[in-house]
Amino acid sequence: MQQEVVLALLAKEPSHGYEIRARLRSALGPIGDAMNAGQVYVVLTRLEKAGLVTTESTTTKDSSDRKTYVLTPKGQQRVAEWLTEVSWPRPDLAEFHLKLVAAAAAGLADPLSIVDTQRRELLRRLRDAQRAAMAEEDGAEAGLLLEGIVLRLQADLRWLEACARSWTTRRSTT
Amino acid sequence: MGRLLLIVRLAARDLLRRPAEAALLLLAIAAATTTLTVGLTIHGVASDPYANTREVTAGPDVVATILPDPEGGADPDPAALESIAAADGVTDHSGPFPVAGAALELGERTMDVQAIGRDAEPADVDRPAVTDGDWVRDGGIVVEAAFAEAAGLHVGDPVTLAGREFEVAGIAVTAALVPYPWTSCLVHCMLGEAPEGMRPADGALHDPGTVWLTVADVEEIASAPLSYVMNLKLADPDDAQAFVLAHGEERPGLPNLLSWNHTLEQVTHLERNTQRLLTTGGTLLGILAVASVAVLVGGRMADQTQRVGLLKAAGATPGLVAAVLLAASVTVALLASAVGLVAGRLTAPLFTERAPGLLGAAGEPALTASAVAIVTAVALGVAVVATLVPAVRAARTSTVAALNDAARPPRRIGWLIALSTRLPPALLIALRLAGRRPRRVVLSVASVTVTVSGVVAAMAANAQLAGQPLVDADTETQRLSDVLLVITVMLIALAAVNAVVVTWATVLDARHASAVTRALGATPAQLSAGLSLAQMLPAFAGALLGVGGGLALYTAIDPDEVPMPSTWSLVVLVPGVVIAVAALTAIPALLAARRPVAPSLQAELA
Amino acid sequence: MSILSTRGLTKSYGDGESLVRAVDGVDLEVESGETVAIMGPSGCGKSTLLHLVGGLDRASGGEIHLAGRRVDQLTERALARLRRTDVGFVFQAFHLMDELTALENVELPALLAGHSPRAAKARAAELLDRVGLTTKAGALPTTLSGGQRQRVAVARALSNEPVLVLADEPTGNLDSAATLDVLRLFEDLHDAGQTLVIVTHDERIAATADRLITMRDGAFVDETRLTGGSTGNLGALAGLEG
Repeated sequence: MQQEVVLALLAKEPSHGYEIRARLRSALGPIGDAMNAGQVYVVLTRLEKAGLVTTESTTTKDSSDRKTYVLTPKGQQRVAEWLTEVSWPRPDLAEFHLKLVAAAAAGLADPLSIVDTQRRELLRRLRDAQRAAMAEEDGAEAGLLLEGIVLRLQADLRWLEACARSWTTRRSTT
Repeated sequence: MGRLLLIVRLAARDLLRRPAEAALLLLAIAAATTTLTVGLTIHGVASDPYANTREVTAGPDVVATILPDPEGGADPDPAALESIAAADGVTDHSGPFPVAGAALELGERTMDVQAIGRDAEPADVDRPAVTDGDWVRDGGIVVEAAFAEAAGLHVGDPVTLAGREFEVAGIAVTAALVPYPWTSCLVHCMLGEAPEGMRPADGALHDPGTVWLTVADVEEIASAPLSYVMNLKLADPDDAQAFVLAHGEERPGLPNLLSWNHTLEQVTHLERNTQRLLTTGGTLLGILAVASVAVLVGGRMADQTQRVGLLKAAGATPGLVAAVLLAASVTVALLASAVGLVAGRLTAPLFTERAPGLLGAAGEPALTASAVAIVTAVALGVAVVATLVPAVRAARTSTVAALNDAARPPRRIGWLIALSTRLPPALLIALRLAGRRPRRVVLSVASVTVTVSGVVAAMAANAQLAGQPLVDADTETQRLSDVLLVITVMLIALAAVNAVVVTWATVLDARHASAVTRALGATPAQLSAGLSLAQMLPAFAGALLGVGGGLALYTAIDPDEVPMPSTWSLVVLVPGVVIAVAALTAIPALLAARRPVAPSLQAELA
Repeated sequence: MSILSTRGLTKSYGDGESLVRAVDGVDLEVESGETVAIMGPSGCGKSTLLHLVGGLDRASGGEIHLAGRRVDQLTERALARLRRTDVGFVFQAFHLMDELTALENVELPALLAGHSPRAAKARAAELLDRVGLTTKAGALPTTLSGGQRQRVAVARALSNEPVLVLADEPTGNLDSAATLDVLRLFEDLHDAGQTLVIVTHDERIAATADRLITMRDGAFVDETRLTGGSTGNLGALAGLEG
């Protein structure tokens, strides 16, 4: 999980750890449910070490749950920078593409059957994502995330379809 | 100027792209203009010769007769006529002359005649003009020209009159009496068939001709009491009607007066009827043409909305678009009026043959400026009225809508749709199809109403004509029948074309709806029945309205005589029209219903 | 029980040199309650196949068996009756009648089949409720969104309780949100036991099917069973690693 995400969630006001976790879960929907409970605290500790966040203890017990986390000025600056960054998650197509090329070159496997198997798997994932998306209420934040997953899978499936067409032609011409 | 040229070019191109439709439009309007032209150009067919005859023969202004009382009683007294001769305004007179009814035998045939006794010297008033042979002499009869022609009598023919031998001495023409077969009765006679409830008087002659004998011969052949006739000349001929009103009596035994105006009216009866027939027929055809043009143009407009959109997208204003659309119709209308004027002028002589029984030629058919103006105005009126609504609508459509061809969504008539749910599928389809285009339904009803009105009026006219004496097939009565037939056929033909065109327009317009309906489970039979019924229902309404309208029309034209066409023929007419429409629309309907569903649906995606 | 079965189904256009095989010897078997998706590029013949199965077009060769009856040789009249009782259609372009309200559109098949107006209306109301459009029963199609129109079309397809519903690119004209609505509807139908054959090139629709068939140049080239879960988790798909 990106550190900056947790930082940004503190930008509005100082919060407890569990509050941040709750906000994350609400934004991620069913995906957030699978998240490790402790992960948030790992990130918060790292941020504290980097000097982007400080903690304030509450007057009650000295357990993690009652710590309040606050952005430092350095942290605020980092958040502002992060919001304006335009980097996008890296695609990972090269590995699959090379898998097909290598299999064909070495005669180890039929590229088409690799494509078909991958396609089947992606379709199943698409189905799961779609089901999750439909379970969300209209307008829920998590629904938007799920739609993004669905659309990405759709794009990937289209590319796989193109791969299938291409490798079929390649086979018939050799 | 440039804009005008553009409009004309666009309109011309529009017409040339669809020659069959343009031809159809032309024919529809030309039928009306031709008929109107003939009606407007024939004139003086009988009235001109009559005027001429009156002058040549010193025709009387008033003819006074006194007939014996059929119930018995005293014989007519010619003295009663003398008192009329002494009345104010009478400047001259001839007679009283005796008249007797008798049977004329020529070979095998026997005909009734009224024989007028005349002196050998020409009288001051009413000098019949002898066209062949000589005037009266002992043992000789002079035959009225029209009667001679109809009966086939010539100078020198031996005839038997009331059992006595005579010879035809001559043929003559007079303006005092109406020529055969509408003879002015100087004795009791009956022309044509007796109307219901009227019993002809005993000894009444049937469709008599007129002959002249010497006075002595008339008195000799008379077997019944004589009638007497006197010819009067007035100081002012225009006073004749007033004079008749003042002095005439309808009772037997008292003088019966006839003005020359009345005689003229009888003489020109057929001519006037022909004119009325032609102008009425022309008007009906004109109305029908409006419906035809509206359907053709409206249907074309639907296909043309895209072109309209392109014109507008290229910068044309709504005004220009409407102008182009109107210009095309106006061009056809002008062509049609030219065609009608020429064709009408060429066929007019068919109706102006010489009227027998009168001297002089009939009036030459001539295209007066007013006739040209009227015909052109009618043609333009038809085109403008029929094209105006679609043109304005097309011009008002937003450009985007026109380009997307969404310009004419079907109408929705809620109660009709609800009603149709209670009906079997074919009727459901029919009602909903009709409800999509209410204006087209109105046009269909109007078209059938006008046609059936014309047919019923023609049937009534024919019934009247059938009651007329038809001695010779070549008389004007026959010609009138022919004219009736031609106009009726034109009406029916135009209406039939209308029905087919409307059906096609409906089929094209309902392509998508038909395909969807079939995809949802309607059989081709149900769909084609629906398409046909959608035309048959307006036809039924139109036929009902037309029967009433036709009778009203005929009464309006000829108020004096309203013979009814036989009841059974009227009863048969309405379902007959419906069946005819079903037959006409069956083929387009069947063809449409058999189209494969899938391509029609896919056409909507293209 | 096999609801639909075709053997060697072909549809060709033209002849000789210009012969085009839109559908080339297709064998298809659809069990009761199954959802089958047929995918393929444009022009591969999948829509043509659907039209043949639904009786909207005539096959050039092969057999079609529907609900136990052989239907490829039926007359147009019998095919029409088939479309009334056994088959329901959903089209990409919706093909609703613009001058009829949603309710009137849905009740039309029942009326054409000869049911009483009251029964047809009641069934239409029930179906509109099932697709969640009761409030729009009196609306004209032009006032409805694409997704709503397609839902009305689905309701109409169900009017006569068909054994088979055929959908031809049902989400082709719909945006993302409307697609989701229609997807939900198809899932409901599937859960209710309706047999569905869907032609689509939208992978999202295909993913809802029990079986996915890939078609190319008029013939089936691949068949996949999509039952069972996937191996990855959603979090990984979202990029939430570690």
